[in-house]
Amino acid sequence: MRYYETLYIVNPELADDEYRDVVAKMQSFIEKEKGVVTRAEEWGKRTLAYEVKKFDKGSYVLLQYCAESGIVEPLKREMTLDDRVIKFQTIKLSDHADPEALKAAAEGAKKGPGEEEKMTEDDRRTEEEGENGIQ
Amino acid sequence: MAYNNREESDDRTRGAKGKFKRTYHRRKVCKFCADSSLTIDYKDIKNIRYFITERGKITPCRISGNCAKHQRLLALAIKRARNIALLPYTTSIIN
Repeated sequence: MRYYETLYIVNPELADDEYRDVVAKMQSFIEKEKGVVTRAEEWGKRTLAYEVKKFDKGSYVLLQYCAESGIVEPLKREMTLDDRVIKFQTIKLSDHADPEALKAAAEGAKKGPGEEEKMTEDDRRTEEEGENGIQ
Repeated sequence: MAYNNREESDDRTRGAKGKFKRTYHRRKVCKFCADSSLTIDYKDIKNIRYFITERGKITPCRISGNCAKHQRLLALAIKRARNIALLPYTTSIIN
């Protein structure tokens, strides 16, 4: 199985329940195609760097999933046909991935306090690095 | 601050017209090689912003100091971020 990541932008003017509908639809589509979603994130409304279909804002949704390579084309069709999705991008993260192991890793990161601490420490370090760079 | 240790006799040579031709010797280290905890991710625009100009162009490695490998990965990340409207292709803001 391959590990993919899709980031898509939903029309920002949709009503909340319709937005939920899109998010649920895309996730269930992947599951229908025998994919395993390991990470789903909603970034909320963000300002776009340039206008997309006359919108200057958009709701970003991130999906990471394991699936066979055949999923990319149908997902592309699904997203282009749905007017509520204004832009999307799918990226292959790795060629061979074990969905169970990835799921366990994701849950471990969420639950394990030790892991979390490590993460924040790393974040802090990168932030410091950024500040140093500006000077 | 790194320019301060420039020595006149070594680093300044007179050009044909008598102007000072400055050559800077500044040791540049690839940020990503120096700190292995840094990862290049197109979604993390906060860190990527450091490597693009105000106009949205990719900073060349001769300026950023990145090694070839990381410059390549970074360029790919920037292009991905542009495609999904996280970063601009161009900006029209003139300061």
